[in-house]
Amino acid sequence: MPEIELWVEKYRPRTLEDMVDQEEIVRRLKEFVRDKNVPHLLFVGPPGTGKTTAALCLAYELYGERWRDNTLELNASDERGIDVIRSRIKEYARTVPLGEVPFKLIILDEADNMTSDAQQALRRTMELFSRTARFILIANYASKIIEPIQSRCAIFRFQPLPRGAAIERLRFIAKSEGVEVDDDALEAIWEESEGDLRKAINILQAAAALDTRVTEETVYEVLGKVSPVEVRELLRLALSGDFLKAREKLREFMLSYGLSGVDVLKLMHREILSPKAGLDLDEWTKAEIIDLMGEINFRLVEGADDEIQLNALLARLALIGSRKKAA
Amino acid sequence: MSARRIPWAEKYRPKRVEDVVGNPDAKRKFIAWLNSWVRGKQTKKAALLYGPPGTGKTSLVHAAAHEYGLELVEANASDVRTSEALRARVFRAATEQALFSERGRIILLDEIDGISPREDRGGLQTVLELINVSKHPVVLTANNPWDPRLRNLRDLCVMIEFRKLGKRDIVKALAEICRREGIECGREVLSAIADRSKGDLRAAINDLQSIAEGRKRITLKDLEILGYRAEQADMFTIVRRILAARNPLQARLVLSYPSLDYEMLMQWLNENIPYQYSPSLVAVADAYDALSKADMFRGRAKRRQKWALLSYALELMTVGVASARERPPFRFVKYSFPKKIKLLSATKRTREARNRVASLVGRTVHVSRRTALLEVLPYIRFIYSVNPQLGARILRSVGVSESLFKEAFPELRKASRRA
Repeated sequence: MPEIELWVEKYRPRTLEDMVDQEEIVRRLKEFVRDKNVPHLLFVGPPGTGKTTAALCLAYELYGERWRDNTLELNASDERGIDVIRSRIKEYARTVPLGEVPFKLIILDEADNMTSDAQQALRRTMELFSRTARFILIANYASKIIEPIQSRCAIFRFQPLPRGAAIERLRFIAKSEGVEVDDDALEAIWEESEGDLRKAINILQAAAALDTRVTEETVYEVLGKVSPVEVRELLRLALSGDFLKAREKLREFMLSYGLSGVDVLKLMHREILSPKAGLDLDEWTKAEIIDLMGEINFRLVEGADDEIQLNALLARLALIGSRKKAA
Repeated sequence: MSARRIPWAEKYRPKRVEDVVGNPDAKRKFIAWLNSWVRGKQTKKAALLYGPPGTGKTSLVHAAAHEYGLELVEANASDVRTSEALRARVFRAATEQALFSERGRIILLDEIDGISPREDRGGLQTVLELINVSKHPVVLTANNPWDPRLRNLRDLCVMIEFRKLGKRDIVKALAEICRREGIECGREVLSAIADRSKGDLRAAINDLQSIAEGRKRITLKDLEILGYRAEQADMFTIVRRILAARNPLQARLVLSYPSLDYEMLMQWLNENIPYQYSPSLVAVADAYDALSKADMFRGRAKRRQKWALLSYALELMTVGVASARERPPFRFVKYSFPKKIKLLSATKRTREARNRVASLVGRTVHVSRRTALLEVLPYIRFIYSVNPQLGARILRSVGVSESLFKEAFPELRKASRRA
């Protein structure tokens, strides 16, 4: 297989030493490697801060080239239910680890997407196999992981990357790829990605596909194509009172990006509060809209139909918009 | 005596396509499809003729078979499942060459929506199988093709809609039967029978036969012996009854229709609320709010298997929707079939391809399929659109073929041609 050409993967650190920032965490993980002993771990933090990378580096340093044989990677969002996860763990943890480390690693990503019932079941599984396997659970929010699991794990909190470290990493990648990057461009990428290094690297690579020199303009060209300009348009149409056009846009948008109702709602929510959106809403109206979005989000989580719910939201936005025009 | 037992609806079934009453568009579409079989270039192996009872679905198939000399193998869809022997016969007929005629045969399965989901589990599966293996055109008929259970079947079929017949057409057909039976009958009588039939020619012919058989002359008074026929409403009517209800409680009446498909109804309302209630933004928003709540209760009832909650959903989607404030005065608007359902089936391949790409990419960069879809694919798509060569290299390295990627993002087909 050829080398992975996606920079997020190509430049993913292979060793703990190479990790960007997170020094305290790296120091403790190295101790685990030295002692060849790892407790169950819970990595918590925002996206793109190195949680998965840290888990993979740890696996690599523990097992060397045989890390793949001794590591099971699962993603809670991809597996169909706790039963599937349990049976895969069972299957995997039954055999003895290869090499001198006396346990295998099980990395469970996006663990906070599991229901609390599923987490209870997971906790029993963890106990059952704790002699032969160590778990690394990865989540965005510790609060979404049930207490009994938290108490069984050493918790590591990953912070959003500081500006300096992120920009330094971007420069390093650009240099390795023979790409020239303007300071303004780095600044723009940094501002958009807000400490999410995966996002920052993706933006950089996309901008570099346009030209070997990455400028502020090329960065914005990328952002215009991949980020929520269309959500902005959707909100603008709805608030102008044109419900039918807004509905059309919503359909197009959901379909062309393959988004779920909750995804769209999240993007809309961000836009309503963003000063960049230029929606010209007073604070009270914004609060009213956010209240509405919360309600719709709740209904979606309750198992309702994406399109009906978002149409209901757009219809209400159209009303709010026309009321404002009349005033 | 025995001749009198033959239902006139059978006795006078048209022998030629042009004699089939009404529905010219459906006839044209059906014949075009049948011709595509003869030429061996059919796009779909089966046709689903749907519409209210007595609008000529089965008659058209009979007439076409007769006129073109095709052998007609006919069965009731639900019997195919329950009787092994019948099943074997139909399957054999579908997979063998025709015995008696050079030009082949038509397999007709009537009343496909009559397959009961509970007792006939696997019944629909049998029909899907039949279509797949058949070497001959398969024709299905149904009154209500929008049943969610028929979704897979719909994808396989050319959909041909039959509408209720106009009064003039029915009167003409009845007059012809009277002529051939030698019965003297005034226009006003035939007109009354036609009115009562509500566009169902079979019902009209049955009515005529029950009052006229064995007589030489009939009058309006003879009609009194006929009762009223229970009406099965179509979605257009149901939606209109809700959105145009004079008062909200009237909207509730649609709940008394037998076998109301409320999930489909919600999609129809979702599509048509703005057409009926524009330009009143208040009415549109109120109606959607009620629909949204109905949807939430439906979701809860389903998820938690608490079916008692369904009654709230049903009331919200009828009375609730019709209670919208500031509803504009009624005007006649044309309702549309839910676009969402059309789009979903039209984009099925695209969505499947996209999910496969997301799985592959997710696996290589250690994220979930959803994260890949939202946070990685947009960038690859962008790169591919501005720099197809580089895009192709990236795709190769993550194990995604270019053709799969283009299937996932059809708009990129143009991009690569330009390059």
